[in-house]
Amino acid sequence: MKLFKAKEKKQEVSEEVLEQAAAEGGVSEQTAAEKAGKEDKAERIRKSLDIFDFSGETAVTIQDVDLYYGDFQALKKINMIVPKHKITAMIGPSGCGKSTLLKTLNRMNDLVEGCRVEGTIEIGGRNIFDKSIDLAALRKNVGMVFQKPNPFPMSVYDNIAYAPRTFGIRKKGALDEIVERSLKQAAMWDELKDRLNKSAMGLSGGQQQRLCIARALSVRPQVLLMDEPTSALDPISTGKIEELCEELKNDVTIIMVTHNMQQAARISDKTGFFLLGELIEFNNTEEIFTTPKHPETERYITGRFG
Amino acid sequence: MDGSTKLDTKTKRFSLSPTKLKDRTAKYVFFTCALMSVVAVFGIIAYILYASIPAFQHVGFFKFLFGTKWDSDSDQFGILPMLVNTIVVTLGATLVGGIIGVFTAIFLVFWCPDKFHLRYAGKNKALGRMVNWLNKINLRTIFDQIIKLLAGIPSVIYGYFGVSIIVAALSGADPVGIGKGALSSALVLAIMIVPTVTSLSKNALEAVPEHYYEGALALGNTKAQAVFKVVLPAARSGIISAIILGIGRAVGETMAVNMVSGGRVYFPNTLFTPIRTLTTNIAMDFGEASPISVLRNALFATAFVLLVLVLIINLSINLVPKEFKGKRGKKVLMPGEEVAVYRKKGVLAEILKYVSMVMAALVVAILAAIILFILINGIPHLTADFLFGSSSYNSPSLVPAFISTAYTILITLAISLPVGICSAIFLVEYAKPGSKIVKVLRTFIDTLAGVPSIVFGLFGNLLFCKLFGGYSVMAGSFTMVLVVLPTIIRSTEEALIAVPVSLREASYGLGASKVRTIFKVVLPSAFPGIATATILAIGRIIGESAALVYTSGMLLSTAGAAANPMNMGSTLTVFLYMCWAEPTRYLGFDQAYATAVVLLIIAAVLNFCVYLIQRRVKKKR
Repeated sequence: MKLFKAKEKKQEVSEEVLEQAAAEGGVSEQTAAEKAGKEDKAERIRKSLDIFDFSGETAVTIQDVDLYYGDFQALKKINMIVPKHKITAMIGPSGCGKSTLLKTLNRMNDLVEGCRVEGTIEIGGRNIFDKSIDLAALRKNVGMVFQKPNPFPMSVYDNIAYAPRTFGIRKKGALDEIVERSLKQAAMWDELKDRLNKSAMGLSGGQQQRLCIARALSVRPQVLLMDEPTSALDPISTGKIEELCEELKNDVTIIMVTHNMQQAARISDKTGFFLLGELIEFNNTEEIFTTPKHPETERYITGRFG
Repeated sequence: MDGSTKLDTKTKRFSLSPTKLKDRTAKYVFFTCALMSVVAVFGIIAYILYASIPAFQHVGFFKFLFGTKWDSDSDQFGILPMLVNTIVVTLGATLVGGIIGVFTAIFLVFWCPDKFHLRYAGKNKALGRMVNWLNKINLRTIFDQIIKLLAGIPSVIYGYFGVSIIVAALSGADPVGIGKGALSSALVLAIMIVPTVTSLSKNALEAVPEHYYEGALALGNTKAQAVFKVVLPAARSGIISAIILGIGRAVGETMAVNMVSGGRVYFPNTLFTPIRTLTTNIAMDFGEASPISVLRNALFATAFVLLVLVLIINLSINLVPKEFKGKRGKKVLMPGEEVAVYRKKGVLAEILKYVSMVMAALVVAILAAIILFILINGIPHLTADFLFGSSSYNSPSLVPAFISTAYTILITLAISLPVGICSAIFLVEYAKPGSKIVKVLRTFIDTLAGVPSIVFGLFGNLLFCKLFGGYSVMAGSFTMVLVVLPTIIRSTEEALIAVPVSLREASYGLGASKVRTIFKVVLPSAFPGIATATILAIGRIIGESAALVYTSGMLLSTAGAAANPMNMGSTLTVFLYMCWAEPTRYLGFDQAYATAVVLLIIAAVLNFCVYLIQRRVKKKR
């Protein structure tokens, strides 16, 4: 993404930013002045959004994170290193803090009144609590899929174009490409290409959730957070989403909270077990499920509590 | 990074990137809008008080309150008769209207059938088809619409109904043979508060958890017993609030009462003594009061007393205990003392059930009577010339009134919609729910909603008429902004709250800023609610008269003059009132009924629009 060639700079500005290294040849003719102005703007947007460097092997490093809701400590000294382009699952009984940790990773917890975080979380080499971090940039790079499908009450197209528009892409051509690319990535293009202008509310639950994934992918996030993405879905839709995750991990680092132990065992590479705000055990999924080191982990995965 | 850095996400939110700057600016804009209601309330109180001080000085505060003489020739002003009349008439209206309203609500929630279940075995095909068609009608919806239509009818129309039907019917019992006075005023007001009481009581009854009702049934209660012994007491606080709001409405009502009260300064010695209430006292004399007279100040002082009275009534809602705690002090029976009383049937509850049916039928009958009365008297005079002809003294037409009404609606909405929506956005999206600032703002918005419209009128007369150099549609519209602002804020707030949090989260999760989330996701989702708010506001503007008579003026204008909003101009409802207040050879009851037909149609259309929007929303969910 640092290697901008002169030719590519002619591309539509913010498109350049978002589509990054993906060298798609859409060259548009512009007057010189316009181009200069736009390039300035492009530079600005690029700087504000591309503040993360994901060239290393580690996507997320969580160090000594304590989180409080008022007086209640929801997370206790969490340390975790999430590898790039892998699926990391977080399991544990309800209220153990796994969703809280997930929401901390793109600072959705900022919305919660009285929430306070100590420690550092490094994503793409930057501490996300640093003053200079722009929340928009963080959330562009760290996408999120929620427990219940929450498409906007707009058309399929507008749902996916929402985030690119947020970051200043207005050109129909560029948006069309993003919509097609996102839907293809989410393996929905064939299903939806004829109903792009229909309301997203008319889709089935499973389709809605995959649309939400496509929507998250529209801005090419490096990390994708998934908060129990299949808990509101039927087994067939769940299967589709799991397949999708395995596809996606070639491009994106996925961190997923799940209550479904089989799901964690099936698709994740790494698994962390949480209990009462603590990370009890974090290891390769295989080892967690075959030879857990901690007795609590064993009791949980064998279904003796939780 | 040593991991020991203490991070407070709260303080870190504001570093100065352009989006954050935009967010903060927006927040202050929204907050400023929300403050408008507070400013308005203080402004009204301060201005009215300021204008009444000369009267208090001249007469003396207590002499003003407890004096019994109101005479502008000798500058003697005492409002005790008006106070007493207001209280008597309001009590009467509340008693009648409250009973009708609460029982109608009970019928509506518990006994109103969903559909007709008519059977027709005859051979007439047309009749059979009609029965089929009747069976398809949703009665509950119809009844809801009836209540809403009653609420949407301009008060002046109730005045005409009162003058022509109620007063005429009572004149036989009146020894003098006129029929105006406390009784007719109370009856007209009773009808007018029925929609308020019914719809709010209905909400309260529907909010009672289903299991209370089921629990009572499971214990062997009849349906009537369950309703009157369990559900009704459980909804008590809501119903009391509904009645208090009805009282507030009755105390503040001006024009309709003005038409049926008789207009003399007497105590209500008999039911038919001509009287004045606080509001009608203002409406009667304000037009004649010269700008430098003590009379004028005395009228402002009357408005001030009225304002204080209404504020006390409305604020007393907060004193209504929120939860039903059951009767206290019941004797605890000792073992062996208990006496099992088995009643096969709650006779009283059964009777009350039939009462509720009768009351509901009465409401339908009243609405039907009003509509028929207006249509029968109005349609013959609804000529094309009256509707669309050019207007002059000899042949008045509605064209200028249409133009003034349109201007008033446009100008009022142009100001009140943005301010109202921004206020609601601040309350829902920015302020912490339940925080002090929200409570304060809510109180002021509710207070503003309770201010009687004649008081708005006097305030507009003081401030906006001065600002725009005399009576003008512009001054009237600015006054109307204050009248409709609370409605718009409240309905928009409800619409915003109904937007699921998950949509906001999704938008934030995609990196959108708060402002963008609000404008691109939240507001579009809340659009039906905001559209409803707009229509309600339009209805309020069209139905208003008391706030406009002394701001935009009451005159027979021409289309040319009405085309400029800086001129005086009367909306349809004010025109309707004028037919009674300043009749001429060419402008009287006939023209009034024709105008009333137009207003009724508009009210019905607006109600239907709201119904369509709400049905669409329901279907989508």
